Amino acid sequence: MRTRFRLSILVVAALAVASCSQGAESQDATTEQVVPATTGCAGNGELTMWERSGGNKDMVDMLVAAWNAKNAACKINLTYIPHTEMVGKIAQGIASGQVPDLMGMDLIYAPQFEKAQQLVDLTDRLNGWSELTTASKGHMTVATYESRLYGVPLYADVSALFYNKDLFTRAGLDPGKPPTSLPELRSYADKISALGGDVKGYYLPGNCAGCNIFTVGPLMWASGAKIEAAGPGDEPLVGDGVKQVLQFTRDMVKSGNVHAGDRTENGETFHLQFGSGKVGMMGTGNFNITLARQQNPKMKFGVALLPGMTPGSSASFIGGDLVVVPKGSKRVNDAVNFMKFLLSDDVQVEVYAKALNLTTRGDMVDNKYFKAEPLVQDVAKALAVGKTPYTLTFFEQINSPQGPWLKMLQRAYYTDDNLDTIIADAKKSMKDIAEKS
Amino acid sequence: MLRTGRNRWTGLAYLTPALLFVLAFTVYPLGRMIWMSLHNWSLISPPRFVGLYNYRQAFADRQFWVSFLFTLKYTALITPVLILGGYLLALLTSQKSRLRSLTRTVVFIPVVIGLGVSSLLWYWLFSTDFGVINRILLDLGITDRPLLWLGVEADMSNFAISTSVVWKVIGFGMILFVGAIQAIPTEITEASLVDGAGYWQRVGRVVLPLTLRTVLLVTLISVIGSLLAFDQFYIMTAGQPQNETATSVFYVYLNSFPYLKLGYGAALSMVLALTILAFTVVQLVLTRRSEA
Repeated sequence: MRTRFRLSILVVAALAVASCSQGAESQDATTEQVVPATTGCAGNGELTMWERSGGNKDMVDMLVAAWNAKNAACKINLTYIPHTEMVGKIAQGIASGQVPDLMGMDLIYAPQFEKAQQLVDLTDRLNGWSELTTASKGHMTVATYESRLYGVPLYADVSALFYNKDLFTRAGLDPGKPPTSLPELRSYADKISALGGDVKGYYLPGNCAGCNIFTVGPLMWASGAKIEAAGPGDEPLVGDGVKQVLQFTRDMVKSGNVHAGDRTENGETFHLQFGSGKVGMMGTGNFNITLARQQNPKMKFGVALLPGMTPGSSASFIGGDLVVVPKGSKRVNDAVNFMKFLLSDDVQVEVYAKALNLTTRGDMVDNKYFKAEPLVQDVAKALAVGKTPYTLTFFEQINSPQGPWLKMLQRAYYTDDNLDTIIADAKKSMKDIAEKS
Repeated sequence: MLRTGRNRWTGLAYLTPALLFVLAFTVYPLGRMIWMSLHNWSLISPPRFVGLYNYRQAFADRQFWVSFLFTLKYTALITPVLILGGYLLALLTSQKSRLRSLTRTVVFIPVVIGLGVSSLLWYWLFSTDFGVINRILLDLGITDRPLLWLGVEADMSNFAISTSVVWKVIGFGMILFVGAIQAIPTEITEASLVDGAGYWQRVGRVVLPLTLRTVLLVTLISVIGSLLAFDQFYIMTAGQPQNETATSVFYVYLNSFPYLKLGYGAALSMVLALTILAFTVVQLVLTRRSEA
């Protein structure tokens, strides 16, 4: 009898705990009154912000420092969370009500959190902001779910074609004329590889899904193709550009235009390849400008847009982070003000551009700092032609080392399998993944 | 009668801290994992009960079994090297002298480095373009072009990663073996010497039987560690080529976190846990038989 009584108490207690945690989950975000956005404090006291490690830490530190310098009454206390733990940490925080007031989020994960209704809908608060009309298209696409807006750009990374002017000159090419199509890129690569020694005309990261969507994906987009399945029923890998680019990359490998070691590249040494001076042309990101200079100060290089099959076609991958507000945040007004601050003319020029990072607004590219640094100006052009894939299963379809995207590329690069079969297999896998989303 | 009842409560009171610890850190997480495995849960949306669906999916998941077989192959490759190598090193360094103590320390140092750090270190050492191993092989004329150690050929990758793991953990087994060898009473060793036993006879007939329990313990630890291998493969090959070097835990991780399929990841973990349990039981039975 006594045992039964104890058991029933335990069960009731367990149910009470469970219902409490359910209650915390369904709790609404905020009871704050909405006020018009400014670039200053809306409330008093410290704001908490989470950001993933492994992103553009220097840039985020500078932005937060600039906000804190201007807004002593509502300074941001920034915490970095390991990239791989971010999703779990946010989910735990939301369930327990212990969320930060705002956070940076890898933009590719945003649609998942938006669909799960874990972020504060900012549509009405951000409505009519003129700054948003020129904000990075890629960021704004993934910040939007079912016509509702959930964030603004925090920082942007774009991919572009970097080319080594010294090797161009040695190969008899005009260093002022980068290739404007893939056939042209191939002919340039042949000439550079012919220099011999350790030098190769091009670079293909053979074991890195993320590096390839960043640098090979735009070659397909520029050739008119579509890559990912946005959701159930959507067709991935559409357009002749997919096969054309796979053929181009296969030919580059077979003709010896890439180093044999590229095949082992899993992303760890990707950023060091161009600065080695042994690669004629390579798709990489804006971050490589500073890095290549540090690595190889004497090397002369240029930046152009990643081309497609036809002359003059181009595309880029826009990556980076968004600023979003998790459900449960008690300082939404301040978080929105921080967004307003980030998008302001002054911060765009005096923080982003001054540090030679990309501005997140396209109309801010024309500034004194970029004018003094032509390479940044060149890479910034990618913002206008760039895009970000939109899918709820980006990691599974594209970014995973076990996903269909990398498998398709590796079969194209390193086997003689029929390209139509390779594409059909990848298409099926991507559709299956999207179907289960 | 009353006294017995009071004794029972006193015993329970003494046991309570340990029981609470086990309940909180073993029973509850295990129960929670079983509960998760019966749900479809993405961590950012509410869980949905799906019964045994995740288990049915796990048994039909070809990649999971490919990963599982690869993990077994890795375990079979590395365990004998760790046991035999560790034991030989222990035999060489178990006697007390400065040089032997120094050797023990040098071999043991990698054990205190994190596996993630050591994997990153070896990733760089094996790097095709920047690695010192290829540089040495090229400079000595052993090979005329850099070898593609990682992520291109499964056996080559397995060999390279196993090398890095042996370097990292062989010292652990060695230290345990040294302890066991040094615990053998000197009288026994002296008696075998008086009987005219040679070095290898002493090793085979005295040292090995008296340290067998430690050998089985180290084997058990090594097998469990290898079946749970993750960091080294995640960092050094990320499962490549074509997912042929993806270990079971790596696949569980991919499903649980990046793919946000927590329920499915939990089901895979349960299958893996039961398999490891089976291995452990077999080894424990063998241990008891050897003692009998």
